[in-house]
Amino acid sequence: MNTARHFEPEDLALFAMQLLPQDEAAAVAAHVEQCAACRQNLTEVQGDLAAYAHTVDLHTPSAEARERLLKQVAREKKTIPIDRVPEKQESEHETIPLASYGRGLGRGEYLPEEDPPHRRPAGRLLPWLGWAAAAALAFAAGNLYQQRDALRSIIATQSSTMNQALPGVAEARQVMEALTDPTAKRVVLNVTPTEKPTPQGRATYVASRGTLIFVADNLEPLPPAKVYELWLIPASGAAPVPAGTFQPDAKGHASVLLPTLPKGVEAKAFGVTIEAEGGATKPTLPIILAGE
Amino acid sequence: MYRETGLVNSPPPSREEDAVLLGQVRKGDEQAMAALYDRYSKVVYSVALRVLRDSAAAEDVLQEIFMQIWRNPGGFEATRGSLGGWLAVVSRNRAIDALRRKRPMDQVDELTLPSSYNLANEAERDSMMEKARVVVRQLPLEQRKTLEMAFFDGLTHTEIAEMTGEPLGTVKTRIRSALITLRKALTA
Repeated sequence: MNTARHFEPEDLALFAMQLLPQDEAAAVAAHVEQCAACRQNLTEVQGDLAAYAHTVDLHTPSAEARERLLKQVAREKKTIPIDRVPEKQESEHETIPLASYGRGLGRGEYLPEEDPPHRRPAGRLLPWLGWAAAAALAFAAGNLYQQRDALRSIIATQSSTMNQALPGVAEARQVMEALTDPTAKRVVLNVTPTEKPTPQGRATYVASRGTLIFVADNLEPLPPAKVYELWLIPASGAAPVPAGTFQPDAKGHASVLLPTLPKGVEAKAFGVTIEAEGGATKPTLPIILAGE
Repeated sequence: MYRETGLVNSPPPSREEDAVLLGQVRKGDEQAMAALYDRYSKVVYSVALRVLRDSAAAEDVLQEIFMQIWRNPGGFEATRGSLGGWLAVVSRNRAIDALRRKRPMDQVDELTLPSSYNLANEAERDSMMEKARVVVRQLPLEQRKTLEMAFFDGLTHTEIAEMTGEPLGTVKTRIRSALITLRKALTA
């Protein structure tokens, strides 16, 4: 990045107000990231704009707006992680006198090595109780370990499911936006009525986003190694743009969702042809379905 | 303004208090969220209302911005200057997005403000607002209108040039000059 060629403060002001065309804004953003001087200038401009924003006449939002916000806040209560409290357990351990462990008598006195203690029945049982407790702890720890592994596995599965679902959600949202966009061009593709059922296609296209959704019904089955191919015929008179190949199912239904298309190409019409498997770069006549 | 926020006998709020409130919001403190709302909702709403000229739409922007703070209080960092300034600019940007019927852009919130204005201090904010209003009123008419068209109406310099018949360079210079005059007056 060439940081020597700085942007004019005028352009930084327009950038701060998000009034630059997308490509220019991207160039400024990239430069500002690298250039401390322009970053500083931009910061100053943002401050000017913040001050300017404060020149508005003040109005108080309705009480309902506050209530609505606080209700929503209450609905979205946060989950705060519970603090762990291992310190207490540790301190409890520390309070146990060292002498109570091993060979201690509980008063800080130790028996001489050559003088083994006289063991009462309860005394003989105590070591076994210790081992039993240790075994129980080991068993419990094993159980916890297994539970932890099981939980990890569940989390991994759910995380993977979510990751798989996310692109689908984004795509569904894109489809929904295109279908409900009032600026979308909606085209019904027909053939001259001959016999029923008549093949028919419907294209929904948003030129600014390059989003196309195409659904067709009553399509004839194709010969082997052939596919239907959808074409976008640009209003500019440019060559038809391939917009995806498809094959109908047993009921003659087929669809093309969100093919890769350049953005901003205004469509004059759409057409469907039959092409060899893999699709073609130019449409092969005849055009099976067409619509403007 | 203290009376309106119920802070008559409290010391003026500061940037540190904003940081404390944000910290409490991060821990899920709904009262802290209400306090932030009471402190800044007027500015956020008024900026959005000025852009959208529709109270319902402005309240939607207000709700959206404060819910963003609730969901992600870390989205605003103290290094970005005053929360009040940040909220005012974000409100303007969100309102312009709503005007253009665009999805909010991430870039909207990516802004850093200088530390020269302490907009968290209510008294200082009042004083700054009054001074800024006076400066803006005294700007040459064409500068004032051009800045207004760009900031509050979201018109690009090309659109302004087409509407006013002025060259593009003149439009840019007017916006810049107006902002410089404002800055000089506020930092004097």
